[in-house]
Formats: sequence, C-alpha cells, structure tokens
Amino acid sequence: MPVQLTNLQQATLQAVVNRLIPVDEYPNAWDAGVGEYLARHFEGDLKHLVEAYANGLDALEQEAKARYGNGFGELTAPQQDAFLQDVEQGAVVTVWPIAPGKFFRLLVEHTMQGYYGAPLNGGNRDAVSWQMTGFESRR
Amino acid sequence: MQQYDAIIVGAGAAGGIVAGVLAEAGWHVLLLERGPSLRFEDVPRDDIRSQRLSLYGHNAGPEIEGNPRVVVEPNGNERVVRPHEGGYHNNAACVGGGTRVYGAQAWRFMPQDFQMASLYGVPEGSSLADWPITYEDLKPYYERAERELGVAGQNDTLWGETAPDAAYPMPPVVPGPQTQALKRGAQQLGWRTFAAPLLINTVPYGGRAACIACKWCVGYACPTDAKNGTHNTLIPLALATGHCQMVTGAMTERIETDARGKVCGVSYFVEENGSARHESARAKVVIVSSGAIESARLLLNSHSAQHPHGLGNESDQVGRHLQGHYYPGASGLTEENVYNGVGPGVTCATNQFNHGNSGIIGGGMLCDDFIKPPIDFWYTSLPPDLPRWGAANKQYMRENYTRLLHVKGPVQEIPSPHGRVTIDPQVRDKWGIPVVRLSGTTHQATVATSEFMRHRAEEWLRASGCYKVWSQPRGIGLSGGQHQAGTCRMGHDPQTSVTDQCGRVHAHDNLFVIDGSLHVTNGGFNPVLTIMALAFRSAEHIAKNFN
Ligand SMILES: Cc1cc2nc3c(=O)[nH]c(=O)nc-3n(C[C@H](O)[C@H](O)[C@H](O)COP(=O)(O)OP(=O)(O)OC[C@H]3O[C@@H](n4cnc5c(N)ncnc54)[C@H](O)[C@@H]3O)c2cc1C
Repeated sequence: MPVQLTNLQQATLQAVVNRLIPVDEYPNAWDAGVGEYLARHFEGDLKHLVEAYANGLDALEQEAKARYGNGFGELTAPQQDAFLQDVEQGAVVTVWPIAPGKFFRLLVEHTMQGYYGAPLNGGNRDAVSWQMTGFESRR
Repeated sequence: MQQYDAIIVGAGAAGGIVAGVLAEAGWHVLLLERGPSLRFEDVPRDDIRSQRLSLYGHNAGPEIEGNPRVVVEPNGNERVVRPHEGGYHNNAACVGGGTRVYGAQAWRFMPQDFQMASLYGVPEGSSLADWPITYEDLKPYYERAERELGVAGQNDTLWGETAPDAAYPMPPVVPGPQTQALKRGAQQLGWRTFAAPLLINTVPYGGRAACIACKWCVGYACPTDAKNGTHNTLIPLALATGHCQMVTGAMTERIETDARGKVCGVSYFVEENGSARHESARAKVVIVSSGAIESARLLLNSHSAQHPHGLGNESDQVGRHLQGHYYPGASGLTEENVYNGVGPGVTCATNQFNHGNSGIIGGGMLCDDFIKPPIDFWYTSLPPDLPRWGAANKQYMRENYTRLLHVKGPVQEIPSPHGRVTIDPQVRDKWGIPVVRLSGTTHQATVATSEFMRHRAEEWLRASGCYKVWSQPRGIGLSGGQHQAGTCRMGHDPQTSVTDQCGRVHAHDNLFVIDGSLHVTNGGFNPVLTIMALAFRSAEHIAKNFN
C-alpha cells in the first residue's frame, strides 16, 4: 500500500479539491489548507484510505484522458465541473477500481472537513471559513 | 477488603447526585467511574471529534478502542461498532457522565408524561405504561435539582404557562435575533413561547462564574465552568465531606453476591502501568448508576448460581424498553440575519404540542438549536436540492450560515419490549467483560409522533418568515443514544418492572438502580433534569430508610 501519493496524484488532488471549493473573494480549498488537513489525516484517521485515494485519483486522470484527451488539470474550469458531476453520478466510461460516486463522496466530505472544520486539524487556515460564514465576526 | 456504606457505579448525572446526598448524610461512599476526570483542557474543541459530531472520535469517552458493542440491525445483520460510530448509542464516560459536555437543557416532564398508558391507552405491541409515581412526587426534587445545580429560566413559567411557584434561581438566557423571528412566527400561529430552561449560569452562581456566551457549548466543556453538571457541583460536594472516595478509570465488572444470593459488593478493574488490576470492595448498599445501557449490562453480567439470568432479571425485564428520543426538526432560510454569535443559542421554546394532539400519542417540545460550528452546519443544514460542492455550495455556506433558522425537539417515544440490551455471547471489551448487544426497534407509533412534530417545526419556520423550509423524515429504528433510558423501569409489579418506585431492585433489599434506566417513559423533553430529580428522591429515601 502506498503510504504517500505520487506527485501526479497530488496535483490531481489539488486540482479537484479546488473545484469542490473554488476561489472567490475567499480562498479555494487548497489555499485554505485542505492539503495540509488531508496530509495530516493520511497519517492518522484516514490512513486506511490512502490506497483508495491513490486508485481513485489515477482513475480520475485516466477517465479525463479518455474523455477529453487531457489530464484533469488541463481542462477548463467548466469542463472540470461537468466532468466531476459525471463522476459524482457514476457516469464514467473507463473501468474504475473504486466506485466513482463513492470515491467522490469521500473527496467532498474530507474537503469540507478541511475547509470548514477547526484549524487545529491543519485546515481552515487563519479560520478563514469561520469568517466567511460569519461564525466568527468578520475581521 | 475495603468496606463501605455504599458503592455507586458511575459518576454521571444520577451517580454524582447520589454520592453527594449520601456523603452529606454521613455515609462512607465509594464512587467508581470508568472514565477519567476531565479538565477543560482535556476536552478539545475538535469539531469533528466531539460528542456532537463524532466522525473520527469524540472528546468525553469512552476510549474508541477496546470498548465495542454489537448491533443487530432490523434485517438481522450484525456489526461490531466502536463508541463514536453510528449504532453504538453512546453518551459519555467521564466524571460527570453526559453532564460534562451536555447542552444542559433543563426540562421538567409534564404531569401527563407520568401517565401515558392511562391517557392514551397501550398501543398494540408496545410496552407503554404509567410511572409508579406522579409529577407531584417528583416536583420537590425538580426544584432541588434546579437550586442545587443551578438552572436559568423564565420565572413563573412552566411549559409556557404561568406557574407562580416556578422560581428559577437564575434569570433566563438573553434573546437573540433568532428569538425575535421565532416569537413573531409563533405569535402569528397563536403558540406560546418562552426561554428554554438551562443548567447554565447566566449570572455567577454556586461559587462559579457566569457564562461568557462562547459558541462551544453542546458537546464541549465550558471555559468558565458555568455549565452545571455533577462534575462541578454534587461530586465536589461529596468529596469535600471527606466521606466519599472516588476512583476514576475503574471499570466495574460485576456486582458480587454472597452464598445466599445477597448483594455484598462489586469487583472492578483499574489500569496500572498498562496492565489491569482486579479489585473488590464491599458495601451495605450497591447503587448502579452507569447509564441506561451500561447499567443493564452490569446487572446482566452479574449472574450467579442464585441469579442465573442476571440480577433483577427474574421477569426478563432488564435491558428491555430501551428508548431515547426521536428528534424531529426543520431548517429554514430567512432574508434577515438571525445569528449574533452569542452562545449557547437555545433561546426560544414551545410546549404547545407536548400533549393533546389529535390521533397522536404524546408529542414533544420544540426549540431553536445550539450554535453549530460550520462543519456541523455543512453536515446538517444544507437544503436537499443544493449541490454538495462547487461554487453554489460555497456561496450557500457564505450567505446562509447567519440566515438559517433551525427548530427541533425530542418526542415522546412509545417503548417496545423488543428494543433492548442483552449480552453478546462472544465479544468482550479490553478487560475481558462481555459487551452489550443492541437489538430491536422502537415502536412504530413513535414514527407517527415524530412526523407530526416535524410538520409543526416546518409550520413554525414558515410563519417565522422563512422563504424556504425543509426537513428529513426518520424511519423505524432503535433509539437510545445520549437520551438513553428505560432499561430497568420502575413499577409496582415485579413481573413488568425491575425496581420499585425508589429504584430498589425487586427481590433485593440493598441493590438499587438510579439513573435514566428507571424512566418508564422518556417524556417529550430532554431527560436529564428528570434523571437528577429521581436521583435526589431515591438517594434521600436511601439515606433516611436504610440502616
Ligand atoms: C453532547 C450531549 C448533549 C446533551 N444535552 C442534553 C441536554 O441539553 N439536556 C438533557 O436533558 N440531556 C442532555 N444530554 C443527555 C444527558 O447527559 C443524559 O441524559 C444524562 O447524562 C444521563 O444520566 P445517567 O446518570 O443516566 O448516565 P450518565 O450521565 O451517562 O452516567 C453514567 C456514568 O457511568 C459510568 N459507567 C458506565 N459503566 C460503568 C462501569 N461498568 N463502571 C464504572 N463506571 C461506569 C459512565 O462512564 C458514566 O460516567 C446530553 C448528552 C450529551 C453527550
């Protein structure tokens, strides 16, 4: 079982989570620390899912190549969103080693945990989402 | 071997009170608690590992490894679950029990809640029954709990009605913008509302500071010690007498009986340098206050030659009628800001629908919710038609965290004898003690009551100006969890109950159960003040009548 993701898998992960929470006046997922949140949890409570992540991210890349002739990272934002919607629905054309909808649900939940959860877990840099939501008064 | 007047198993809501009352009366008490004593710093504000949202763990015990339970699903599938996982029906395991991190809503049950069978009849297949005591029997002890632990509430008000003798020791929490909106809505519907009573210091009380209105109340420990549980009231009082010895990390294995079958003490494990040390202690009286699920486990695990099915289980009643609360509610979006960041957040309640609902058994209280950390909000407060990710999701979180109204409440459950705690024949915990096996469901009539209240919640939000309202129905299942109750119900008849009206186990003169297990029915309210009142009443009875 790989204990770490490859560089390509990391890059895909970053590109995907940044569509799950895209930038506006507030940072996207990665800039708000979702990567750090995931890195910490891949060493801890999500250790058992690192392999699923590696497989899922590979499958996602392969699916993007099969459909668009390009890696996920090279697609336009609207293409990425449309593509992810299909993955969410399980509407894929290649063979996935993990159910795409299930993998996508994991990605979404973990991204939200990293973005909206307490900064003590490595994400939500400077409690940025807590200000964005108004949970803490906006500075 | 150490000899005590009383051994109390569990330092939770009830056990802490029994310890306080008996130690004050001069009894030599051993208080055994399986969990640790938690300081504020020991209970992290980790919003995905809390007693509120327990995705990967929790913050008030029990330890997630070594304490499994077995769950039997309605379809017969069995799973072994850990304490923070769904289906385990955890409350907490630490000094104070659930009260260490609870939300502290401090409700008295209504007089009708003690007479459910007489009022509504007994639905087929249910074990709905009257309590052996009435509201009047418990009333002085409700007042005592409110005074001794400290409750903030609206004076002269009980259940939304004028009750001149209801004198809370502290003023209620201050209203917020959500209160104004909900009051307006209720007024339009002709419903009475009032400030929910809370075991929280709105002003300094009992030598402890006032609430600083932080946002981390339910599921967390209080930074100013203004949330009143047994850990900061009755237990310190018991220890201060010098008569009460508390042992933490003490997992009670069995209640011991002598050659004649008479209860004489307990045996327990404590951890020492990573290994288990087995201890025994003797007492005139043993009091089981381990919470509804673990109290049943302890009685069942204490079988002996004279009591082959467990203590108090001659009529096969121990562990049955497990109940908790279905907790229907609704969410709605408003145009206005209804959030001011002032905790705890529970400000506005109605008891309009606790009883007297046509075609429905019982009903329940409704009120607004505690402040939710944003990740909790993401899990619980998205409309069903909203994408779970992407720009629209982010925009929703950004615009609506401060514009969402949420009301919910516990409904009167209709107990079933099949919703129960037994002992698993195979699985053991880290001490080697056989673990709880949970099976069955609540009675179907519970679902109807829950659905009725869910629609009232929606109605309230619409009247309060919400332009979009939604809620989720809940199907049949087992209930228990943080409001677990009913597994050693009290009653007059040993055939249909486990204890008498003071918690004394039938056919034993020195074995008591005092905790949520005693509840015959669980009211349409959060249960802890009733558990506390019963504990005061039973402990006073023991102190007066036992020699
Ligand atoms: C997050 C949260 C919020 C809540 N909010 C509210 C609220 O707002 N209002 C309300 O009314 N209720 C609330 N509750 C529920 C309330 O805390 C419970 O109803 C109450 O604590 C139950 O009291 P009890 O005495 O039956 O058991 P507990 O308080 O659970 O105490 C039992 C104790 O026994 C110990 N124990 C168990 N087995 C053993 C053993 N074998 N040996 C030694 N010790 C043992 C346990 O560790 C525990 O400390 C909440 C609970 C939680 C967790």
